[in-house]
Amino acid sequence: MPFSTIATPEAKPVMNYKMGTRMEGGRLLYVSGQVAWDASGAIVGKGDIRAQARQTFENLRQVLRVAGGDLKDLMKITTYITKIEDVPAVAEARTEVFQGELPASTLIVVKSLFHPDFLIEVEGVAAV
Amino acid sequence: MDRRDILAERPVEKGRGFMPGVSVNPSRVLFTAGLTGRDPDGSLVSGGMASQARRTFERLQAILAQAGANFGDAVKQLVYVTDLEAYNASGRPERAKFFGGARPASTGLVVRRLADPAMLIEAELVVDLGGSRQGAPLLEKYNAEKHPGDFHQGVIVNGGRLLYLAGQVANNPDGSVAGVGDWRRQAEKVYENIGHLLRAAGATPASVVKETTWVLSIDSWRQHGPPVRRAFYSGDFPASTLVEIPGLARREFLVEIDVIAAVA
Repeated sequence: MPFSTIATPEAKPVMNYKMGTRMEGGRLLYVSGQVAWDASGAIVGKGDIRAQARQTFENLRQVLRVAGGDLKDLMKITTYITKIEDVPAVAEARTEVFQGELPASTLIVVKSLFHPDFLIEVEGVAAV
Repeated sequence: MDRRDILAERPVEKGRGFMPGVSVNPSRVLFTAGLTGRDPDGSLVSGGMASQARRTFERLQAILAQAGANFGDAVKQLVYVTDLEAYNASGRPERAKFFGGARPASTGLVVRRLADPAMLIEAELVVDLGGSRQGAPLLEKYNAEKHPGDFHQGVIVNGGRLLYLAGQVANNPDGSVAGVGDWRRQAEKVYENIGHLLRAAGATPASVVKETTWVLSIDSWRQHGPPVRRAFYSGDFPASTLVEIPGLARREFLVEIDVIAAVA
């Protein structure tokens, strides 16, 4: 893996994610904020945070695959949601998708995303 | 330059103003602060979204120019707006004038408030400079214009290893929240945690390249956060962005800080 994990007993994560990653090689990949639309641009799971979260992470995976990588290559993700009540559902979907420890992670509740129907957007930085 | 645009054969990704992904060989990378529609004297330009957007990208252009780059070299853009309709109607066309056909990876967010309550737009960039880093210091922090703020407008990372920290909040190692309802204590705890992680990674506060501060209230942050932040950086400030949002992962959190750093 072209990055290493930063951990210290003095500062621990509040959920299942890494506290920091350091790039050790490879190419630096920035992935646009992904949202829950399908290949044609139609929204998936209108009003349904679980369905949107799954689709969003699937779209993130697709971009990584085109770049020759996968979710495991992510150093950092930032998850933007529109309602704090959605945190548990999003956390569950992330753990399901990553099947292990998440990358370094930030979670922010914004006023809205760039379309009122989007409930979640996730961007990432990877070493591929 | 060794840039690769990551574009799947999906109709949704074609013809839009951004790339799903952009990868580069990170030999020299520039991180900008979040720029806004301020005039040289520090006041916000009049005329609403169109003039603010124009001014924002003009200022980014000056930062790029100082590093020998242009909008075509942008790897990633992050645009924060407080009014999406105004951005779509009159901000987007202004942005397009600067970017032309260039398509960086992109994220757009509608936030509650920016540094000034009348600010409608803020934008920041990650830029691939390419070229040789030989003889250059690891970090070059600079300003393209004079400003009184505690930040640099651009930070160039010449080689080295980039370090991405999780967003730091005021949590104790046992999982409890430090300083519930207490801005000052949360600011201290967040920077304490950042300090621990930087040390674990072989870095120091001076290694920080870019900082994004997410707060529930900019007014409260300004009363309590800056002294803690100034003590942490001892004058050696990163490029930074300050944004007010309605919530973080837990209701007790008042502030979350994202840090990107670099070590040799």
